[in-house]
Amino acid sequence: MRLVAAHLRNQLFENEIVNQTISTRRQFLSSVGIGFGGIALGSLLQRELSGQDSTHFQPRAKHVIYLHMIGAPSQLDLFDAKPELVKRNNQPCPPEVTKGRDFAFIGKTSTLGGSPWKFSQYGESGQSMSELLPNLSGVADELAVIRSVHTEEINHAPAQMFLHSGFGRGGRPSFGSWVSYGLGSENEDLPGYIVLLSGPAGGAGTSLWSSGFLPSVHQGIQFRSQGDPVLFLSGPDGRTNADRRRVLDALQALNQQHLNDTNDPEIETRIEQYEMAFRMQASVPELMDINAETADTLKSYGAEPGKASFANNCLLARRLVERGVRLVELYDTDWDHHNNIQNRLPKKCKDIDQPVAALIQDLKQRGLLEDTLIIWGSEFGRTPLQQEAKPNVKLTGRDHHKDAFTMWLAGGGIKGGTSYGRSDDFGMDIAENGVHVHDLNATILHLLGLDHTRLTYRYQGREFRLTDVHGNVVQEILA
Amino acid sequence: MGPWTKRILFILLAAALIAHLFAAPTTVAQTPASTNRPDISFADDVYPILRRACFECHGEAKQENYLRLDRREDALGLGVIEAGEPEKSELVRRIQLPRGHEGIMPAVGEPLPKRDIDVIKRWIKAGATWPEDFQPGEHWAYVPPQRAPLPAVQDKEWPRVPLDRFVLRKLESAGLAPSAVASPEKLIRRVYLDLIGLPPTPEEVEEYLRDPSTARFEQVVDELLSRPQFGERWARPWLDLARYADSHGFQRDNLRDIWAYRDWVIQALNDDMPFDQFTIEQIAGDLLPQPTESQRIATGFHRCAPINVEAGSLPEETRSEQIIDRTNTTAAVWLGSTMECCQCHDHKYDPFSQQDYYRLLAFFNSTELEADRTSAKPSSIQFSGPKMPISNPARDAKRTALEQQLQSMRVRQNERREELSQSVHAWLPELQEELGAAPRQHPLQIIEFQSTGTTDTVQVLKDGAILLEGGDPPETDTYTIRAQSPVSNIRGFRLDALRHESLPGGGPGRGDPVKRNFVLNELSVELRPTTDQPDLENALPRSLRFSKARASFSQTNWAVDGVLSDKPKTGWAISPRFDQSHWATFVLEQPLDVPEGWELVFQLKQDYGGARTIGCLRLSAVTGDIDATPIPEAIGKIAARPVDEWSPKERKQLVDYRVAHDYESHAIEQQQAQLQKEINQLAPDTTLVMVELDQPRTTHVFERGDYREQGDVVQPDVPGILHALPEGPRNRLTLARWLTSTDNPLVARVTVNRWWAELFGRGIVATPEDFGIKGDPPSHPQLLDWLAVEFMDNGWSMKKLLRTIVLSATYQQSSRVRPELQSLDRQNRLLARGPRFRMDAEMIRDNALAISGLLSLNSGGPPIRPYQPAGVWKKVGGTAYEYRVSPGSEQHRRGIYVVRKRGSPYPSFTNFDGTPRLSCTVMRSRTNTPLQALTLLNDPVYVEAAKALVTRVNNARPDSSIDERLEYAFQLCTARRPSTTELATLRGLYDQQIASHQDRELTDEEAIQDAWYGVATTLLNLHETITKD
Repeated sequence: MRLVAAHLRNQLFENEIVNQTISTRRQFLSSVGIGFGGIALGSLLQRELSGQDSTHFQPRAKHVIYLHMIGAPSQLDLFDAKPELVKRNNQPCPPEVTKGRDFAFIGKTSTLGGSPWKFSQYGESGQSMSELLPNLSGVADELAVIRSVHTEEINHAPAQMFLHSGFGRGGRPSFGSWVSYGLGSENEDLPGYIVLLSGPAGGAGTSLWSSGFLPSVHQGIQFRSQGDPVLFLSGPDGRTNADRRRVLDALQALNQQHLNDTNDPEIETRIEQYEMAFRMQASVPELMDINAETADTLKSYGAEPGKASFANNCLLARRLVERGVRLVELYDTDWDHHNNIQNRLPKKCKDIDQPVAALIQDLKQRGLLEDTLIIWGSEFGRTPLQQEAKPNVKLTGRDHHKDAFTMWLAGGGIKGGTSYGRSDDFGMDIAENGVHVHDLNATILHLLGLDHTRLTYRYQGREFRLTDVHGNVVQEILA
Repeated sequence: MGPWTKRILFILLAAALIAHLFAAPTTVAQTPASTNRPDISFADDVYPILRRACFECHGEAKQENYLRLDRREDALGLGVIEAGEPEKSELVRRIQLPRGHEGIMPAVGEPLPKRDIDVIKRWIKAGATWPEDFQPGEHWAYVPPQRAPLPAVQDKEWPRVPLDRFVLRKLESAGLAPSAVASPEKLIRRVYLDLIGLPPTPEEVEEYLRDPSTARFEQVVDELLSRPQFGERWARPWLDLARYADSHGFQRDNLRDIWAYRDWVIQALNDDMPFDQFTIEQIAGDLLPQPTESQRIATGFHRCAPINVEAGSLPEETRSEQIIDRTNTTAAVWLGSTMECCQCHDHKYDPFSQQDYYRLLAFFNSTELEADRTSAKPSSIQFSGPKMPISNPARDAKRTALEQQLQSMRVRQNERREELSQSVHAWLPELQEELGAAPRQHPLQIIEFQSTGTTDTVQVLKDGAILLEGGDPPETDTYTIRAQSPVSNIRGFRLDALRHESLPGGGPGRGDPVKRNFVLNELSVELRPTTDQPDLENALPRSLRFSKARASFSQTNWAVDGVLSDKPKTGWAISPRFDQSHWATFVLEQPLDVPEGWELVFQLKQDYGGARTIGCLRLSAVTGDIDATPIPEAIGKIAARPVDEWSPKERKQLVDYRVAHDYESHAIEQQQAQLQKEINQLAPDTTLVMVELDQPRTTHVFERGDYREQGDVVQPDVPGILHALPEGPRNRLTLARWLTSTDNPLVARVTVNRWWAELFGRGIVATPEDFGIKGDPPSHPQLLDWLAVEFMDNGWSMKKLLRTIVLSATYQQSSRVRPELQSLDRQNRLLARGPRFRMDAEMIRDNALAISGLLSLNSGGPPIRPYQPAGVWKKVGGTAYEYRVSPGSEQHRRGIYVVRKRGSPYPSFTNFDGTPRLSCTVMRSRTNTPLQALTLLNDPVYVEAAKALVTRVNNARPDSSIDERLEYAFQLCTARRPSTTELATLRGLYDQQIASHQDRELTDEEAIQDAWYGVATTLLNLHETITKD
């Protein structure tokens, strides 16, 4: 990678003093390949030319682990206790509470649903959580819980797109791509933005980790738990490493000869990419193999080698962060509890409670938590209204709710034990300190040392931002 | 001064010169390179920079920090500009701050390029003259293009076509010479790739090498332009603009049929349909007088917009999103303008207002909903936009003939029914005899029903049937049913899977309102002591054994016997006969009497997934001769009564029964079913088209871009800054005519610029998606205008324009990066060399398939599916999508035909910057990553191509030496012969591979194959192989 960096520096330097034809990053990137590392052109330029760090200001975190629960867990049964709902369970909702609101499936006349689960205060901070997360409540003092998140979209795919890209339709870059664009990867042999799935992808499919109009080198790369961890990582059967090396040596020699003949700097980059690919063929299977972990570690996460699970992915997230990956996003599926919530929510909580708590503790123990921001949440929350209430069932299910839901953050730069924002007594709307998705994204970038108003990319005549023209950093949750 | 310093100085001088060349786009420098620099013009040089960089925050609309720079008195009077003293001017200080500095201006986006800073400084130094009578001119892109006189050039020999003079003039002003013409091998490969997207065969190269004259080159070009592969190559960028895909996008990313539109584009390009007509048919083909089928297919352009059909989505919101998409796409494609900026407010720098935006949107506002609810239920949302059947005369004739046959069958069927009805009394004795022997069903009494997954309501109906109701069936389910039998001497059990109105689509399956299937994987029945029998507490349950099963109907490969087999993946299913109830009978090995104190426990395992479970079922005990045809109870009852007591309904029931069991009727029915099947297979293909509503919708401004906040009513109209709308009704057709009017200052420039970018790797305007104030100014403004006017004057012919460009000296230059160019003009803005850049995703695949001889040139029709890793489509957003690789050579057809699923695009294209087509893409990025290396090395498609390349070389050169074969293989990939060193490298690899074969325990024959495979992989991975150079 030194080679490429040096080469880049030359190009940048020459461009800088010569004809200034770089007027956008895109044009520059469209003609220069950069691999995974050192991608942040602006920052690289700055680093190389002025020796400063790439960020706008001192970063509080270097890595992000984003835990996305596809489908939207019920905040009202996990983090946001509402005695009023319990009191009014199965009673009609006062019309003024639902006035002016749209719901995806239910009518405004649906009855209210109180949580059948017990809430208590945990940790020294007295963080309020339900009994469904017994392990997570053990690290309650690490969490900054925001109970006043709100978004614009009410259906899964658009809301997932909105959360990720600040826009409810496709074509814009995901936050991971923005971060990769802004900061690059610390490990030149791994992508800056890696995606792990337990269960099928969300409704918006791969567009959630698409780089949109940013160069595709910033797209999220899915690491798979079955088959090749990265698509096309392993070659055809029967090829040995020596075999591959021989082919690669010949290839590189021919490319080098062609470079000498044509002076096309792109070939130099190509040569480096093939070396990187060769290294990935060894390093990626190694990092994906959790057999290397101790039995205690595996047990603490509830991870089992060879299995595709959220627990395994939490452990992999730690391994990726250890190796310098900027943003790891974990998607877990089946949180869309329109009905049968009484069986399904506890089951899902069981899938994630232990591994998430273990991840926080493990990172902390290894001294990685202070550099790693963990975010837990979803595209929206769930309604205080029940879906198709039944007389003899305490709580059937809940519909999509965009106006008030809960997410939490922990780790790098976060003031643990914080509770921020409040929803009203029904959990229908924000009562205090609303945090819009744009605010959340602004805060995430801020923690990484990036000013969300200045991390821009010119496309179609506009300086695009992750936060559009909105977003305020939520200072109150910062350490 | 050391050599290093000298070099830098030289660079600086040349840089300043080039900076100037681009700073003054509207004037051609009169002075040769090395003398004094011309004066700065406020109007031409300074004002455009201020407008582009400053006015957004310091202009008419907004005065950030009370600073306004768009008016003379403010700009000069507020102390930020000190005339004559650039270094004391705050403006200069700010624009020179380092990137990322808190105070840098512009505050957002890229810092000003050095050449702009230089212009500002020189202007201030010279006294910061801002003429009092200065009136800002119109932005260049809104002034209609005009042919400038061809500039004078020193080198009279070099230009081949007029456009070369513009390029040469600029080069000469910069003191640069053009590059030599490319070698004939490279030139012919370049023009093949550019015009048809495929490489020339070695034979085609050889033939050209025999006569590489200009005349011969022209012949090659004309021949390529007439090949059908031309349209396939050039459809790719157009379909990026059209955001063409084969699926909806979003959560319910189902496939849709709109490939006829893709084929339309290919055909139109091959026909060289004039671009104005090409535009009109796509925007408004449906509104042309008596539109042809082809003209309606063309309107698929705007039906390509993605659509959200997620359960619970709001149809009006979806519709609004789609017309916004159509408006933005139209503006990007035909106007190179960023109209989307005006959705919420007036455009911040370009001269478009929010009202303009919604006036333009109004043209698209009068089509039908394309996603709507089929019932009051929010989950019933369905894709519903208009489809058009596509005619296919041969197929249509065949279908009509079959339909006639079917009609006569129906007549015969009715006749037979009449015969049977007439003689029903005579048939009674026969029936009664059968009744005596027939098996009978006795519904079991249900004690308890349990499901492993569902929490929906379960009830037992009056007729003993069990009904599961509710919108949340689990993916898989096992029913456990405790029951008592009312009879003894049970010969078997019958399971009825019944339809019921409360089930999705009426059932019998629970999982899907359309595919109402179920899969019963296993059935087990046990005898168990009833729970309230303490004395039988220790008695063991007893499993019942069955000898066989039969059913009213079984789906292919899902025969009912599978229920009794131990294999888990077998079972009983009923597709496609969802419209009726079904039954299955399970015959006991031995007749059964249920002892006192015991009960029957049934387990019905349904593991298929997707809630393919039975929604309403009834269990019955069967007595009598179980092998005889069962006769429904009701029939027995009617037959037992005197004929004259029958009601007409009962009589009909009997006739129905008789018809159903009549051999001849059955035969007719079977023939009919067969015919129907054939007719269905011959059903016309369909495609999505635009259909205008009879009554146009009223269009309002969406306040803050929100479709629910309706502001002023607006009428369809075009932006005031541009030319006027032609006469005619204010509909899409008139809009299309407006777009392609020769008065339109943008359309021709925008279009030729995109083609230029396809050929040269970057446009004359480097921001092809934005010709507005913030867009890049053209590097060669007069060239751009010359091309635009040429294009319009030549009847909007794309082929003629491409022909002109590829015949130019500019295009035919060698693409070698001369050392001085690498530092002076790395991006080749000045065009001192030919283009060289990596091919696009589709071309990389097409090229490899063509080189290896695998490529199939079959054209048109439904999308094809090449190999992709397992599981890529498996599940997206809760729905599973099957991916079956196309058979035989179908999978090796060109990339343009590869299926496009927005939610899970073809991975190998994604790795090479292919777009998921979620929105209009004007230019793809072009990156260089390790994933690309992995794809070319390991994607089975490329592995297969490498193997095929070996075969091709050995077949073509069976008697040649190894070196000759290596040479041939190299030629296939690059069109040129390898140099001695290159050949030696390949030979070295080959020899090493052979030498290492003992380590790898290969036979000699295998070792040779393997060595060739290594060579072929190497060649297919060469940078040169995937580069157009």
